[in-house]
Amino acid sequence: MIFLFTLVIAGILVSLTIGRYPMSPAQVFSALRARAAEFLRLPIPSAGAALTDQMRALFFNARLPRILLSCLVGCCLSAAGASYQGVFQNPMASPDILGASSGAAVGAALAILLELDARMVMLFAFGTSLMTIAAVMLISGAAQGNRLLRIVLAGIMASSLCNAGTSFIKLVADPNNILPEISYWLMGSLAKTRPDALAFAAVPMALGLAPLLMLRWRINILTLSDEEARTLGVNAGAVRAAVIVCATLVTAASVSVSGLIGWVGLMAPHLARKLVGNNYRHLMPASMLTGALFLLVVDNVSRNLLLTEIPIGILTAVVGAPFFIWLISRKKESI
Amino acid sequence: MSVAVCDLAFSYGRRPVLRGVGFTAERGELLCVLGPNGVGKSTLFGCILGLLSPSGGEVLVDGRRVEGIPARELARKLAYVPQSHAPTFNYSVSDMVLMGTTARVGGISSPGAEHIRAAARSMERVGISHLAERGYMRISGGERQLTLIARALAQRADIIIMDEPTANLDYGNQLRVLKCVKELAREGLAVIQSTHNPDHAFLFADKALALRDGRVAAFGPPDEAITEELIASLYGVHVRLCRTEGGATRCEPII
Repeated sequence: MIFLFTLVIAGILVSLTIGRYPMSPAQVFSALRARAAEFLRLPIPSAGAALTDQMRALFFNARLPRILLSCLVGCCLSAAGASYQGVFQNPMASPDILGASSGAAVGAALAILLELDARMVMLFAFGTSLMTIAAVMLISGAAQGNRLLRIVLAGIMASSLCNAGTSFIKLVADPNNILPEISYWLMGSLAKTRPDALAFAAVPMALGLAPLLMLRWRINILTLSDEEARTLGVNAGAVRAAVIVCATLVTAASVSVSGLIGWVGLMAPHLARKLVGNNYRHLMPASMLTGALFLLVVDNVSRNLLLTEIPIGILTAVVGAPFFIWLISRKKESI
Repeated sequence: MSVAVCDLAFSYGRRPVLRGVGFTAERGELLCVLGPNGVGKSTLFGCILGLLSPSGGEVLVDGRRVEGIPARELARKLAYVPQSHAPTFNYSVSDMVLMGTTARVGGISSPGAEHIRAAARSMERVGISHLAERGYMRISGGERQLTLIARALAQRADIIIMDEPTANLDYGNQLRVLKCVKELAREGLAVIQSTHNPDHAFLFADKALALRDGRVAAFGPPDEAITEELIASLYGVHVRLCRTEGGATRCEPII
């Protein structure tokens, strides 16, 4: 765990230096130190290897927020995936299982169609995502039969409704400038990250991640049957509802700032399972760190591999699918 | 510490399953529940554990109605050992046992050193310490059953309810599990278990409860409660009860 954490920190520091405009570690360090000193109202140290003003603006307004956001989004999607896998007793569950992503997509597409600014796109995506999940929970509450099954079925219905809405918006959107923008958003990208996106997403992310960490032992109990959970002293319904709300909150916050990034939420938790086992006590933090590291690395590739950015959603699928095949086809260790 | 079931009735919709069921189980006692498939043994356990709401009568744990006891508090008094199952994820045996301590762990925290020690002790108690790091899905059925019993012990409840703990086990594992259960009762726990084998009741039980058509057909010490007529009426097969040289009773089927 400490190793993973160190790896994430090291990954962030390395990532800060690479990009279209390379910066040396010394320059990055002095820029960070100057900003910290400014913030703490200390005398600004004489900079040995200073960046130009332009480079500094680039660093603080684009590169730093983007790198932090890629870690946060990876962390959130992975935590949400791990949580859903536990509470739905389904190892193939991913953060979009209840329609949080599809819900966000329709909101974002609508906002882009109405030519609202980037902040409104975020807000719309976040709002419709939460509304979709609220609808899913209401529908599943009214339906009859197996509780887990009906939540998942309601999620599938809501997703397909939202997808229909998104398709319709794409159909009526102006194919010259609006449609490409919608398509680009749907592919998922961190390219347009600004500091305010980070600030916008950080609050719901923190509000969701903290309870997930606190409830992580009890998620283990939820992977057993509800009756068994009750005889162990856990009110399965209440804990499950709390976990779903938190996982949905972080998913909605992630998707609203990054667009649709698939695979992370399925793959990172499974990688973490291979590393630390299935006990959520260790799995939850390990998933968060693995997800953060994975998305950080993929985003580095996304912004550095080619001259034009490759949307990160495409890359995660390209990396994720083969990786996952390798993961599931590996011989099971006989312990 | 005791369980008292008084005039219990339960029905699924309009179909009555249990009617007028009453008995008690005290500490230090092993109670075997006998009855044909579908007679309502699992339903009875569901009512005792507070998972099902009876349509009549009541279940008292330490003199309190079970519906009125919060899940967390109930789990400290009453532990349940389900039939060995296959959970979605492959937990290690020690993690599975550790889950038993959940009712004693704070609502938003994870088990600490004290709980881990308790889990280790209960694994040692049932003799599965050597399996601690193995995967629960990679051990035998008998070992899984012992794991679930260790989990119930880690729960530190005084009453343990077991749903056919010997189902799907080979002959040796059946006897090992039952011997372990018997010893637990000797140490002061109340154990209520369902079984399909009357010999298990003769061998290990202090009391036997026979259910027929949702009613109590017999209740008492196995030697008195279980008769040739009772077995014929429960299962529709004929047996002869024999005395062994040691003075114990056994069933001999008449085929």
